[in-house]
Amino acid sequence: MSVIYPELASGRGDLRAGPWLVRAGSALRGGASCQLKERILEVPLEAGARARVVRAHELMHARVSPLAEHFGACRDLPVRALECAEEYRVNALLSRTGFDVGLLADGSEKAGGRSLAAAGEWAEAACFFVAVAGTGAERAFLAGVRQVRPEWAKALRILGRRVEAVVASLATDVMASTRSGEDELPVGFGRSTLEIARVLARVMDARVPVSTEELRTFRRSLEPGGRRPVTGRFALLVVDPRPSLVEGTGTSAIRRPRPSVSGTTLRYPGRLVFDARRRAFSTRVTRRAGVVVIDQSGSMEIDPGEITRLLRHAPGSLVVGYSHRPGDHTNAPNAWVLARRGCVASDFPVGNVGNGVDGPVLRWAASMRRRSEPLVWVTDGQVTDSNDYPDPALTDECAQLVRLHRIRLVRRVSEVEKVLRQPTPMTPFELRSFGRVGRRLGELRLV
Amino acid sequence: MNEETTCWDDVSDVLAAGMARVLLYGPPGTGKTFAALHFGAPGGAAERIVCTDDLTSGEITGTWMPRGEQGFEWWDGPAIRAWCANEGQGGRLVVDEVDRASGDALATLLAVTDSVESSRWRHPDTREWLRPGPDFSVVMTSNVDDLEEIPSALRDRFPVRIRVDRPHPAALERLSADLRVPAENGSLGPAERRVSLRAFYAFDQLRDAYGPRRAADLVFGPVADHVLDALSVSAVS
Repeated sequence: MSVIYPELASGRGDLRAGPWLVRAGSALRGGASCQLKERILEVPLEAGARARVVRAHELMHARVSPLAEHFGACRDLPVRALECAEEYRVNALLSRTGFDVGLLADGSEKAGGRSLAAAGEWAEAACFFVAVAGTGAERAFLAGVRQVRPEWAKALRILGRRVEAVVASLATDVMASTRSGEDELPVGFGRSTLEIARVLARVMDARVPVSTEELRTFRRSLEPGGRRPVTGRFALLVVDPRPSLVEGTGTSAIRRPRPSVSGTTLRYPGRLVFDARRRAFSTRVTRRAGVVVIDQSGSMEIDPGEITRLLRHAPGSLVVGYSHRPGDHTNAPNAWVLARRGCVASDFPVGNVGNGVDGPVLRWAASMRRRSEPLVWVTDGQVTDSNDYPDPALTDECAQLVRLHRIRLVRRVSEVEKVLRQPTPMTPFELRSFGRVGRRLGELRLV
Repeated sequence: MNEETTCWDDVSDVLAAGMARVLLYGPPGTGKTFAALHFGAPGGAAERIVCTDDLTSGEITGTWMPRGEQGFEWWDGPAIRAWCANEGQGGRLVVDEVDRASGDALATLLAVTDSVESSRWRHPDTREWLRPGPDFSVVMTSNVDDLEEIPSALRDRFPVRIRVDRPHPAALERLSADLRVPAENGSLGPAERRVSLRAFYAFDQLRDAYGPRRAADLVFGPVADHVLDALSVSAVS
């Protein structure tokens, strides 16, 4: 039975010193853990070189890992990316301290790599790879991945080199420092884990590069200052759950009586005499409302004044704006309701970032539509992925949605009212002005 | 900043305020005795008694000792010397491991550590009645974690009880810089993995002469590897 001394190892300024509770764990993956706040260490207590390195690994967590609130402060990054980046830092520090991290493997890694690759779990494969990079598990994991998806292994190796470069220039004491930095995060965590997690988050989002050119672009995207990689998918649609809507103040009557030559109510008998068309009856005309989706991305250059005018003239409509910040993982709203059946937004975001959610927002709008009311999309016909790259598959997806839901495309917000009043089908000529989506719609029409 | 500062601040504040009866308890090797002997002792000097099961009242108040062929002479014990120190003003008496005292010794300790007004003792040689000087103070130390292990009558005489669970900062200063934090926290764990300040002093000294591996083997024996691993991790930043 081994004795472990977490009290000796865990002296740090940001954690109240105190006795630790040590529980018997195992040297298998997931069999050891460190709960900093509760000061609980679960480690293998048997003799043996591997158990000893696993114990040292957990001691290193106790010594350098950030508290839960530090993880919580990094809301723009996936928690899994942070966890795996932290594993990398701990293993790198162990290695620098002289422990044989080659022993950190339990034999399950090859099968794990195979199963992740077979399931198409690219993001998790990237995370796991970073967590075991530099240890004895790295090679086996890559071999497992390569058996199923050789192209993944190439991309993972690029990721491995990039992560290694992040910490290579950092001194060990900086990398391990728990002193609070300017951003109020521990210096070591901020300078290494956070940087690695940022790289990892990009990779998790990225479409796996296959061709030589794609691999080159992928590598460049991981360099400092590099543009985010292609993701090939839309971001998650987050509609602002608390829009600030107020009662509409414009010409909001939705059903109005109008003079008519026929009807059941003789409302304007005087017109029998004075109106040349003798429109003495009254009929109720429903003012046309519909669903309007406005692309507020930077390329649209939408004048907020135009939106305000639209809201005044079509308050009975459901109007939604959208624009997604490339690479955003904070669940910040990327779509917002501007008007909902009589209520209009007193204030609304300008947008002016990427598209990112064109497909999801069109689907959402279609689901909100009432019977046969028109669905209008204010767009320039550019559709982009969550990192704001145009993508043929996503363009096609939107074109299919346009066809399926008979969505009317307009270029300017000022055109919406006219289309709502008198929905007309688009001509092939009009379609040409809607960029990629327009072209694709033209192709679909020919088919 | 954290608990260690607070507990030693408490000790410092209490002794600086001239508190005449203080009980310091907690894990061994944290410097309780050192503090009792050196901090706030009147005239800078202190008498010390280390309690054991075999402690007799003679080792507290004094005893007759043979003096060649001329018979015996009386030697004052540490308690009486402390009573009368500083030209009768009284000094500091430090009673270590007080939980181990029993029987006669405990009764005598109760008598000599009572308040200045209540204590008196007749000198067997001069037959005069002695009382503790006005500055007489007592600091008792114990390694118990639970105060219940100390006799209630004794506890009653010591209204201020401070749990000292970590080494004094001044004691840590004597260690090499990389060992100070581990030594500071070494006393916090449960008994089976507590590492006393004395062990760190020894390790530090031997390390200079023979390197960490040999020093750890000599000081920590079978758990040397584990202590070295923890120290390596601790020294990472």
